[in-house]
Amino acid sequence: MYAPTKTDNYPTQTSIDQAKVEQILAHHNPNYISPTLPNPHSPTSPTSPQTPQTPHSRPQRNEAKLNKQSHINFLARLLIQGFPDRYTSQDASQPWLIFWIVQGLSLLGVGLDAGNKQKIINTLLACQSPLGGFGGGPGQAPHLLTTYAAVCTLAIVGRPGPQGGWDQIDRKKLYDFFLSLKQPDGSTLVSPHSEVDVRGTYCLLVTSTLLDILTPPLSASTPSFIASCQTYEGGFASASQPYYSPYFKVRNESTLMSDPRPPLGEAHGGYTFCAVASWVMLAPLRPPSSNPSSPPNPASTAQTSPSPRPEYPTSQFTPSQEEGPKINTRSLVRWLTSLQGSPLELGAFRGRTNKLVDGCYSWWVGGCFGVLEGLGIDGANFSQFSHSKAHTSGGQGGEGEGAEGEDADEWADDDDALFNKKALQEYILYAAQAPTGGLRDKPPKHADSYHTLYNLSGLSNAQHRVHPSADVTELLQKNWVDTPPPSPASAPTSTPPSPASKPEETEETFERHDIYLSKLPSESYEAWNARRKRIWIAASAWSEDESEGSVAYVGGSDNRVNASHPLFNLTITHSRGMLNHFYGQSFVVPS
Amino acid sequence: MPGDSVLYSERPEWSDIQPIAQYETVTPVAPIFYSDEYKDATGYFRAVVKANERSERVLQLTEHIIRLNPGHYSVWQYRWSTLLALGSSLEDELLLMDELATTYLKTYQVWHHRRLIITELGGKSNPARELRFIRQGLNVDSKNYHTWAYRQWLLAHFNEDALWEGELPFVEEMLDEDVRNNSAWHHRFFTVWQSGVRAGEEDREYTLNRELSYTKEKIALAPNNGSAWNYLRGVLDFTKTSYSTLRTFIEPYTAPRDESEPEVLDLDNPLPSKDAQLPCVAAIEFLAEIYESEVDNAKRAAELYRSLAEVHDKIREKYWNYRVGEALSSAGQVVAS
Repeated sequence: MYAPTKTDNYPTQTSIDQAKVEQILAHHNPNYISPTLPNPHSPTSPTSPQTPQTPHSRPQRNEAKLNKQSHINFLARLLIQGFPDRYTSQDASQPWLIFWIVQGLSLLGVGLDAGNKQKIINTLLACQSPLGGFGGGPGQAPHLLTTYAAVCTLAIVGRPGPQGGWDQIDRKKLYDFFLSLKQPDGSTLVSPHSEVDVRGTYCLLVTSTLLDILTPPLSASTPSFIASCQTYEGGFASASQPYYSPYFKVRNESTLMSDPRPPLGEAHGGYTFCAVASWVMLAPLRPPSSNPSSPPNPASTAQTSPSPRPEYPTSQFTPSQEEGPKINTRSLVRWLTSLQGSPLELGAFRGRTNKLVDGCYSWWVGGCFGVLEGLGIDGANFSQFSHSKAHTSGGQGGEGEGAEGEDADEWADDDDALFNKKALQEYILYAAQAPTGGLRDKPPKHADSYHTLYNLSGLSNAQHRVHPSADVTELLQKNWVDTPPPSPASAPTSTPPSPASKPEETEETFERHDIYLSKLPSESYEAWNARRKRIWIAASAWSEDESEGSVAYVGGSDNRVNASHPLFNLTITHSRGMLNHFYGQSFVVPS
Repeated sequence: MPGDSVLYSERPEWSDIQPIAQYETVTPVAPIFYSDEYKDATGYFRAVVKANERSERVLQLTEHIIRLNPGHYSVWQYRWSTLLALGSSLEDELLLMDELATTYLKTYQVWHHRRLIITELGGKSNPARELRFIRQGLNVDSKNYHTWAYRQWLLAHFNEDALWEGELPFVEEMLDEDVRNNSAWHHRFFTVWQSGVRAGEEDREYTLNRELSYTKEKIALAPNNGSAWNYLRGVLDFTKTSYSTLRTFIEPYTAPRDESEPEVLDLDNPLPSKDAQLPCVAAIEFLAEIYESEVDNAKRAAELYRSLAEVHDKIREKYWNYRVGEALSSAGQVVAS
């Protein structure tokens, strides 16, 4: 059950590196006892045969317990005391350092006091560039990635009104900044003179969605760019080559060729998350399909589609699969599941085929399954075939992989996920927690704020099921309020209050955000509202599924972390709060 | 340069400009405790940016900061636009980058800066030399993502037959060193299938046979290698070749070795090596897909997927059960819930 990865007696550097990691991880597995495996942590001779050890006497072993307080202290210390000199390498990522800490605390259920919130808001606003967007620090060039980090952190700690952070975001300049980075092939540079990659696309789309500046010009050709990044393995690369090289002898150098558009770099977990989440976020911008309300029956599509296999069902947010660029969700799911490690690797995810596992992929790869809920893809389609529903022996006790530690609740194993959520939780609990607080890539590495957040986010995704709820969608459809055109009598420079303005906002002296910013001159108010409504609903409909079998905690409910929005990596509450403000809505989904 | 004891604030040639503090009016949260050297240099950087200064000393300052923090993208950007403004020698800049890349391989900016230089130099650049340089980088870190992506960009950008010529032999060397190097397999796919059809390679049937033969040989060597199987599937998918054409090759990999069978040498269907640990999960999956594509074999496909879920690859139990369902439902035997 805990067999090492097969090497066919043909060692290469990959298999050698892999074996070393497996040896270390074995010592973090409470159920794996090897009498002959040398214990790298033993104070005695590392090569002498070890007698079988009881769980209590094994060194470096965590229990199935999330040491919440220790992680809270780890993050709080960094926030208040700051980072040592070796973090100079992150000097161009200051909003990221803050986001990793603050979202980590959110998942752990910790809110900050008003004083610290204001300090964070002020720090982030100091990173806003006069050119629009946020840079890695004050005076740094604006960058798509740090813009995401800043805006998402503001979603957590900010608020409307003076000094609240939200209304001090210069959305007009931000929008123009985004447009200035756009490339003819649908991709975006991450910063002036900088590289193209799908992380930039993701960060731009999250920010634009949250702030209501997502327009058709901004997203033109982006679906085809994303699709061009999918590799033969099924995952996505960092970018693609548009092949309008001036050195291409036959074609005009300014012609954008549709083929070949090879992906640059192999399929990678981080880029894949960004590509797939971007794909889902773009869905509301495509013309609605002819049958928006009912997903096609998979059995019926099997008869009409050319391939013998059924198409994955679409949700009401994805258009008809017949037109436009497509991604291959079948090979994507295959690749994603192939990245989960063996029982000996405690079910951690790796980021690429034949590379080592790393706790951060708990979110980038594990979390991608959460994103796929946005395409209607989960195990529920064929759950009747899951033997773990019919038989309870599958995941519990005995010699099955992932058997429980002493204090764990019974694992019902009737979730409909496509990956092994239980095993992933076990990796995070048993191996990723650092003894002195925080979470890490893998033992024996040190914890850092990045790995702390992404392990916790991965844990969240493995505990909960968050999906676009049909019921919530219906509620949102009913309760959306169109923003009317400005009344002709109002002064040209002031923005009339939208019907959804909150009565408690009485300060008139600061600039309210321009609610009409995303309206294109060429479109009617009707079309503009229709588009914003689709985007707002698509983003706000994601909800926790609290039905039986959808939530499960290895180690018991004390280990619960908050659920996270699969597209943004913010709590649902924080996501909806910001969305409502910028879309001029006040409807709160009842819990 | 790093470690120099003289701060810019103490250098007379910098006395004409005032450094700018990072946070002038705000007490930041989560501060980084920079060294005095870094704080000093970046204070002067903010000042030259504000003044829009483009000069040799700016090149000196930006190089210094890059060595202290190669991830400081604003400094890279400013250095680039300064080089252009000054009309500096980009060939010399490339030599400097050669030096930096060996120390700072993992940052995006090092590779991107190279790309900007090569693009700007255009016909005056030496892409063949770049390929050799990239090769050296891969000798140190054989799976570095940016290094491989940069190589692919370079080949696509120039798209010269002379550059492409050496790629297949290069990939084969990398795979001889480590048949499990997924980056190298990806590069093979890029070179053979995703860069257009070059002169002399118009016979795609020949290309397909060559690739299948190569991949089968590598699978035979060490069958439990996801990279080789993904490549095999990728080639078949791309050329729209039915998986069934490989049935004879696959079958010996799907079960423990039958010692009683005399080994017949079949060059088209290399058998698993003597040391291969069978059965191989990827082979079982492959065979199941063959069954799935055949009328009336849905149940055999389902059985194989079930064996993966329950015996051979239990960590992926949920996924394999999903494939059971797909196999049975596409055969019209069940309506999905």
